[in-house]
Amino acid sequence: MSSESESECESEPNPLIWADSEFDRERHVRFVGMMYEYLPCHYQTQEINTLTLAYFALSSLDILGAMNHINKDAVADWTLSFLAHAQNENEMTVGEFHGFHGSKSSQFPPNLDGVLFRNGSHLASTYCALAILKIIGYDLSLINLKAITKSMKILQQHDGSFMPTHIRAETDLRFVYCAAAISYMLDDWSGMDKETTKEYIRNCQSYDGGFGLHPGLESHGGGTYCAVASLRLMGFLEENILSKGTSSSVINVALLLDWLMKRQAEDGGFQGRSNKASDTCYGFWVGGVLKILGGSKFIHKEALQKYLLSCQSKAVTSSDSDHGGW
Amino acid sequence: MESDTDQSIPLSNRPEWSDIVPLPQDDGPNPVVPIAYTDEFRETMSYFRAVYVADEKSPRSLWLTERTIRLNPGNYTVWHFRRLVLEALDADLLSELDFVGNIAKSNSKNYQIWHHRRWLAEKLGAAAMSKELEFTKKILSTDAKHYHAWSHRQWVLQALGGWEDELDYCHVLLTDDIFNNSAWNQRYFVVTRSPHLGGLKAMRDSEVDYSIKAILAYPENESPWRYLQGLFKDAAKSLISDPRISSMCLEVLLGKRFCVFALDMLLDLITYGFQPTPEFNDAVNALHTHESDSSLGETICSILESIDPLRANYWAWRKTKFPALAG
Repeated sequence: MSSESESECESEPNPLIWADSEFDRERHVRFVGMMYEYLPCHYQTQEINTLTLAYFALSSLDILGAMNHINKDAVADWTLSFLAHAQNENEMTVGEFHGFHGSKSSQFPPNLDGVLFRNGSHLASTYCALAILKIIGYDLSLINLKAITKSMKILQQHDGSFMPTHIRAETDLRFVYCAAAISYMLDDWSGMDKETTKEYIRNCQSYDGGFGLHPGLESHGGGTYCAVASLRLMGFLEENILSKGTSSSVINVALLLDWLMKRQAEDGGFQGRSNKASDTCYGFWVGGVLKILGGSKFIHKEALQKYLLSCQSKAVTSSDSDHGGW
Repeated sequence: MESDTDQSIPLSNRPEWSDIVPLPQDDGPNPVVPIAYTDEFRETMSYFRAVYVADEKSPRSLWLTERTIRLNPGNYTVWHFRRLVLEALDADLLSELDFVGNIAKSNSKNYQIWHHRRWLAEKLGAAAMSKELEFTKKILSTDAKHYHAWSHRQWVLQALGGWEDELDYCHVLLTDDIFNNSAWNQRYFVVTRSPHLGGLKAMRDSEVDYSIKAILAYPENESPWRYLQGLFKDAAKSLISDPRISSMCLEVLLGKRFCVFALDMLLDLITYGFQPTPEFNDAVNALHTHESDSSLGETICSILESIDPLRANYWAWRKTKFPALAG
């Protein structure tokens, strides 16, 4: 495989300009594989999100059908090492979340009494950790899941939103989604009050049908995904609601659909907000919402595909095939 | 306190740090996505970890958190510890606002910075109001759609006040760029929540005129169309009975201008019960040469399938649902 790529690259007059008509799976596998093994120093400003970066890499490899290189036991051990461990419920420190840390930089060994020290575990890291463990097929029942869900309760605010960590941070729809995804993956909703969460999400629906990250904020593709996905996970939105012809009592689906449809721009890509440029990420955020609602049939798929392929970089070259044989 | 010019001297070479044993992070065996940290980054984080574990809340810790933040502004643990140190030292929070403003110059899309700013403003209370409105205005002057800045500004208005000039500010931004959807959103925020304006119903009339003016200037601008409809949230009857709105749609159609949004609005009006007069039928029928569908709503959907091909599947579906899909 790598020798084919070598000859391809050698014959390219200008390797960065390429009118792609096809998704270059091999190149993506190689790129993600490289990132999996080694991230260059300019990623250090993202180090607190190490687990998230790992999740992006692993889920990409999973989608690409390239997990054969992965040592799943090693990944499981590594992921579990981020857990703010509590042996049992009695060991949980009151007022602290016992989830996963995002990075080794902000994780510390227990103090001299063996008590968890400087616990900075975070909802987003926890979501990513559990997702990674599920991808590699790890048996989650081996973890003290009750400690996660029970301690997650302290992160929910009176308005239904979630703070991501007990050492305090901003609250918005992103962490509502993390909480809902965690609860869904663990099949345990005791860590969140679903009714107040639902109210918070409802309050985030803007006058134009989309959802802002917080009530009053401008409709945004990412916020809209977090809102709709959370409602679906919590069971407040039935599957494929558009095809069933029913309306929702929770959100204005018709107005939302109209907003979503307007997000596909002239270049075929999706924009995250009205009158802003398209970005590949909104292909997921907005496309994902349409899928959840049963409306992906409305997307102009050819236009979207053309846009996404136009963003396919050729920066990964044959010399990179030295990295772990990806 | 050392100045920034000392940034290049490693901490291990500084006598004032000689008593600290740096605490390196333990990546463990087989790390996934390991990062190739620079020496400066690695060393700074190791010293930070040492003072954090020791819980040293001193002036030199404060200095160290600044150094660490400049290298690693996304690390919420560092910001958290900085807040603890600021409190312990009873530090001047107004100059801390200046510090955050400085860091924000190159990191304005960083959630931790904005959370820290909010924490400071909460502590300073009303005294911070005008400073925060000025700060967000400054960010918005270079990026008028900056999501964090709008989020912070909305919080300031609700928590600390300052609503009086906000509608005018929205107008200034919209005069600069009538396509700025963030400014339209802020306008809606002010109209619906300002304690000085009387609420949505009281403001509806003047805001309808405002939006119509914007629409007629650029009918291809999605923002004022959405805003206009938003003014009639849960008030569909008022929407269909306001003659200005249907007349405006007609004007756009007759003017042979970009008419996707006008047709879309007309479709919604009909769905809500608007009874189109013959001139509407004529204006719509003039836009296509196909055989008329059985109703004006279905005709509009057919036209939209043709003139808005990116959404052809959607308009075809709307045609089948019409008129069942009432808001």
